[in-house]
Amino acid sequence: MATMEALDDEILAIRAQIASLHAHRANLGSILLSSPNLPTRLEHRPVAKEGLRKKAAKIVKTQSNRNHENIYRACAGVTAYKVKDPDPNAVDNGNVLGVRIEVAVGGKFVDTYHVLLNRPYPTRKTVLKIHKHTIPPCIPLQQLATRFLPAPQKDAVTPTEQDLLKFGRCLRKELVAWHLRTNAVVKLRAEAGLPDEKDTRDVEMEKNPYGTVLNAFAGDSDEDSEDDGIDKTPPGPPRITDIGANTGVSEINFAWSNGQTGTMNVTKDGRIEKAVVRSKQGAHLVELSRRATGRIEGLVERLAS
Amino acid sequence: MAPRTSVTAPDYKNIPHSHCLPSSHRQVTRLFSKLSRQSLISLALQWLQKKNRDFCLPFLAGDADSEAEDYDAMYAPAGSHDELIEYYKALADRKGGRREVMDRILEGDWRNGISMFQLATAEIQHLLDHPSNLRWTAKRLARTPSIKYLEADMEVTDESEHLPRFQAQTFLANLAKELTPLMKAHYLLTKIKNPPITLLRVYVHDSPYSTEASLAVDSASVDGAKAVFFIFPHGTPHVWHSLATNLGQVVGDESRHLRDVVIQAIPKAFSKPSNRFQLVSTTFSARSLSALLNYRGPGKTNASGGGYSIFADTSFSQNAFDFITTRKPDGIEKAAPDHTNPLTVGNPAAGRAKRVLDDNETPEVKRRKDVAQGRFGSSARPDDGAGLERFEVRIDDPFPTTPSQAQHDGQSMDVDDIHQPSRQGRRGRRSLLDRSEAEQEEADEGDDWTPDVRLTFQGSHVFAGIRKLLEEGVIDGEKMPGWMTGEAGVTTGAIKNGRIRTKKGIPSV
Repeated sequence: MATMEALDDEILAIRAQIASLHAHRANLGSILLSSPNLPTRLEHRPVAKEGLRKKAAKIVKTQSNRNHENIYRACAGVTAYKVKDPDPNAVDNGNVLGVRIEVAVGGKFVDTYHVLLNRPYPTRKTVLKIHKHTIPPCIPLQQLATRFLPAPQKDAVTPTEQDLLKFGRCLRKELVAWHLRTNAVVKLRAEAGLPDEKDTRDVEMEKNPYGTVLNAFAGDSDEDSEDDGIDKTPPGPPRITDIGANTGVSEINFAWSNGQTGTMNVTKDGRIEKAVVRSKQGAHLVELSRRATGRIEGLVERLAS
Repeated sequence: MAPRTSVTAPDYKNIPHSHCLPSSHRQVTRLFSKLSRQSLISLALQWLQKKNRDFCLPFLAGDADSEAEDYDAMYAPAGSHDELIEYYKALADRKGGRREVMDRILEGDWRNGISMFQLATAEIQHLLDHPSNLRWTAKRLARTPSIKYLEADMEVTDESEHLPRFQAQTFLANLAKELTPLMKAHYLLTKIKNPPITLLRVYVHDSPYSTEASLAVDSASVDGAKAVFFIFPHGTPHVWHSLATNLGQVVGDESRHLRDVVIQAIPKAFSKPSNRFQLVSTTFSARSLSALLNYRGPGKTNASGGGYSIFADTSFSQNAFDFITTRKPDGIEKAAPDHTNPLTVGNPAAGRAKRVLDDNETPEVKRRKDVAQGRFGSSARPDDGAGLERFEVRIDDPFPTTPSQAQHDGQSMDVDDIHQPSRQGRRGRRSLLDRSEAEQEEADEGDDWTPDVRLTFQGSHVFAGIRKLLEEGVIDGEKMPGWMTGEAGVTTGAIKNGRIRTKKGIPSV
């Protein structure tokens, strides 16, 4: 048995090594292809076959295109591109303008969102309309669109004014703010010593196969201390047992081991505006609530002090 | 159990969690016989937890009164909760049949009755075990426009929340306030982490009484749909609803009506003074929860169906810091953008294995596959779990006139005559596809004849089927209209000028 396991481990280690070497090779390859003198040298050096030269030039071109694109995307944050709709019945011959919004948090690339616009109004050629998008529903896209990309009025005399630049800027602000808030909640959980929510999801599903019942009032809601089998009133200050937020992170919920619960309203720029903390008996804990208001960062610290 | 001596009178109460149905009740046995052994055991363990004990009292040795003792019970009552927990844990560890656990629950530990809480949780468990058992309709909570607040609504400020705020207790209290004068109901609201949804089950009890005795009466009507499910996916304005029925079961008018009453109460329960909501149709219904999550969920895929699906995943926009272009498609390095859905039991290897065989395909087949890739992107894969079972469209384009037809004026007259009675001749419920009066007028207005043509696609995964047909060369991929790729994200629609008509505004927000 032991040899089997040893062999398995070895295979795993070798696989990991292969993967890392592959990644290394790809990395080196792209560095080589991005070297500035390569295209000129390719053109001037003699080669055995002309076809190979063309092939090499093509690979170099792909790489330089990618470099270009990535630098634009990383630096600008909002970039536009053209798309051709393959639908034969598409409006405006299938010409679609794409707006790409990059979100990076903490120096790391997180996600890309797209808004695709077309020109459906035959009489007003410059008026855009959102055709498709990949913006999650917790972002107020409709409101932004009505403000910056209004549809033309039927018999209006004045031409419709649209501002795609401002639209992109505001939408990007919303998206980045949302990601920052989500990140802040993850950090709060880490500060409170709670495991990452993603890791606990499966365990939770096993523990509560049908979810957390929200209207079971008669029973003791102090689940955690019971599940863990700990005494009802643990000595020392109450610890935070749960931190959660809704999808749009406009609201954060706290639970303490002594049955206290708190709900906080979060503004879009990550300020805690209003907070209510109640004891298990339902009394309003004014002091804690007051302490909670402020920036979202350091919330756990403020509550503990 | 001591006989209840409460007065039976109509009241204004909800049905509490602890009210019991007899273990032999038809609904109880029908539901429990559908659950798997594993689910039954995990449910029993949940019910025995301290927080749920008040609602799920098991039959313990101490409860047995003197008269009950002499009847020879199949299962000896257990001494305590902990003993029962140990027993069920032992059951979980060993192999055995489903029947064994079910009998133990119904005839042993809960012989006194199954509480409403247990019934509800068991039904939810069944729903989560079989996420494509019910037919769901997606609706959207939209703010009722009011002139006074229209201006403020359009502004994106820090305070303005464009989604309805969901607070469980307030919502339930409001819902009960709307419903109790009309019917008695049992509510169970539960928050599920994966998939991220909140599920509400309303058990409709069509009676003025909320007593246990009135619950136990087996209703004479055969239609079994007494529970209505609502799902609120987190972070979306959508509400999905479904009647808890068996597949293919015909639902009578009465249950349908009761369900409608509950549906009407939902937006009212969300509303606040000067902030009213209404439910609007999104012309979407599907069977599998993962399809609903895909088309009406909290993620990026709602308004990027069909060929636009490449924008929702990483196949079009890679990490902006990923500069490597020299990846060789040799399987190992292939970065598989596996957006594994919690509800799909997909097999990612299946798709890849096929590609190896592609080497010996003809250029024509390869071209068709490329076209399919362009039209459908990464959507409509047979194993993506987001399959729609039914897709209906009505075509509103005028009938293409050929020169020969234009000469025979009389012919179109005849067709008009046939056309009218066929509309009136149809009986039954109004279809969603029927033209509204305004649309009918519009159709009659023009000189062209616009026949009432409807197409229904049906199957386990309609768009994957269309993609397959395209790849096989049955459908011309370049001439195929866009609505056949499912990019509109609806299951019912009207087509004008080759495109699905959409309401004003942005798709699915």
